[in-house]
Amino acid sequence: MRGCYVMNQNKQKLGVMSNKKTSQFVTRFASYSVLVLMTALIFIPILWMISTALKSEEDIWDTPIEIIPSEPTLYNFKNLWSTHPFLQYLENSLIVVCSATLISVCISTFAGYGISRFNFRGRSTYMAFLLATQLFPSIMLLIPYYKIFMTVGLIDNISALIITYVSFTIPLCTWMMRGYFAGISKDLDQAAAIDDAGRIKVFTSVILPIAWPGVAATAIYAFIAGWNEYLFALSFINTDTRKTVSLGIGQLIGEYNILWGELMAGALYALVPMVIIFIFFNRYMVSGLSAGAVKE
Amino acid sequence: MMKSAFAKRESRSGYIFAGPAALFMFALVIYPMAYGIFISTQKTNLIDEWEFVGAKYYLQLISDSAFYDTLTTTTLFAAAVVIGNMVLGLLLAVIVNQKIPMVNFFKVVLMLPWLFPEVVVGLIWKWIFSPLFGLLNHLLFTFNLIETETDVLGRETTAFIGVVFVCIWKGYPIVMLMMMAGMKNIPQERYEAAAIDGANKWQQFRHITLPGLKPIILVAIILETAWWFKHFTIIWLMTSGGPAGSTETVSLEIYLQAFTNFNFGRAAAESVIILVILMVASLIYARVLRDESE
Repeated sequence: MRGCYVMNQNKQKLGVMSNKKTSQFVTRFASYSVLVLMTALIFIPILWMISTALKSEEDIWDTPIEIIPSEPTLYNFKNLWSTHPFLQYLENSLIVVCSATLISVCISTFAGYGISRFNFRGRSTYMAFLLATQLFPSIMLLIPYYKIFMTVGLIDNISALIITYVSFTIPLCTWMMRGYFAGISKDLDQAAAIDDAGRIKVFTSVILPIAWPGVAATAIYAFIAGWNEYLFALSFINTDTRKTVSLGIGQLIGEYNILWGELMAGALYALVPMVIIFIFFNRYMVSGLSAGAVKE
Repeated sequence: MMKSAFAKRESRSGYIFAGPAALFMFALVIYPMAYGIFISTQKTNLIDEWEFVGAKYYLQLISDSAFYDTLTTTTLFAAAVVIGNMVLGLLLAVIVNQKIPMVNFFKVVLMLPWLFPEVVVGLIWKWIFSPLFGLLNHLLFTFNLIETETDVLGRETTAFIGVVFVCIWKGYPIVMLMMMAGMKNIPQERYEAAAIDGANKWQQFRHITLPGLKPIILVAIILETAWWFKHFTIIWLMTSGGPAGSTETVSLEIYLQAFTNFNFGRAAAESVIILVILMVASLIYARVLRDESE
């Protein structure tokens, strides 16, 4: 009787074990299926873009379509430079985006520190306002900005874009920096600070050096946001030599005859800074986001 | 005495650090928005014609069925993209949060679309969907799924689905990243305890992961709704709102109203309405999610 009971129990245990194994196998199989499918969905467009960029204009219209170009050529990459002031686009983009990033990161770092450390009147209102700016349709600023820039003569001038990009990166950057500073112990600065001058000194010599990863992450976000912007550039810039990369390649599609090879080459050029950032700063991007998004 | 002096000093330091940002925000956001509300009451070409028309544009808009159509399209578009992003982002975050081989490789791959500028995303997919020699048609032909070329972006239903698909392709990584960050804050012991009690993966997800992520899910839904409700670039490049207005969202309508029709007052009034809608929507979200957690 007793032996029978033990055996029964063993059987049950075995059953549970194999059940667990099967369910683990099923979970893994499902997980990898999703991952592989997603990878395909991500890589196919990328490969198609590269493949098109490497084809001559005739090969693009060849049937059947060649996924891997039989006679790859860099013609599109070169031709884009001669038919459009692409180097100028690049220069404009870099000037606009780097200036805007620098300005908003400086201001936001200070503000983020102030909000995370000091209790001042209007602090919670200010924080609520920063979050609320995410709800404002950026397009709501489009018309007032257009009129203001027209009045001060900044239409068709890349300075207008610097100002615009600063306006929408400050809230996000401040929010991210605040999250980052909240994660740094207050003991460090509270002990040392006596007056305002002391506080600024403590901030620059003690806190800032520790906060570099957060500043880097924030700068990357500001850079990406600026590099991607299209609507304001489209509305404020008319002259070809003042266009940004986003605007320049976006408008290739409006041309009478769409040259897909050149378009895809342009798209690849626009991706270069993103790839560089990703390779070098990948670590900061994720940690910065978690700091900004999660910490209350 | 001591305490109030300290509070004063605290306060002043706060203003010194946060002041510049506040000034910038006032000059670059609050003032232009107020100015935008002013413009919405004017019949103007922004140069020399300024005529006060009061609430004329607002009244016009609330009785304009075309504007309602645009709002409906925008709502459907935003809802589809946000739901897609949330479901896909959460699913992928859960998957890559497991300790399984190669998971770090997949994490990097899955983040790639987020790096792609919207312009680039719009252009690549427009080319893929192209009826002439586009990749999609080629693949559909190869697998004998169609007999004649289909112009995905040239027909109303498929254009809408196509645009939504592309926006989800571009938009899910940010949700995935937020969810991954949120999961880091859920104590591992809870899962271990649940596993000992015999909870399966789905039960663990349902009773530990989901409640743990609730605050960040709320933030993500509000931000995503605001972002996609006002989205412009991808739609503009892929369809310019067509065919027959089937993908015309409010941002496109405002842009066209302002820079094609030069009807700046009406465009400004439209943007004020969108702001109100987004504010109300986020209040409702916050209320609903808070009630649920109580």
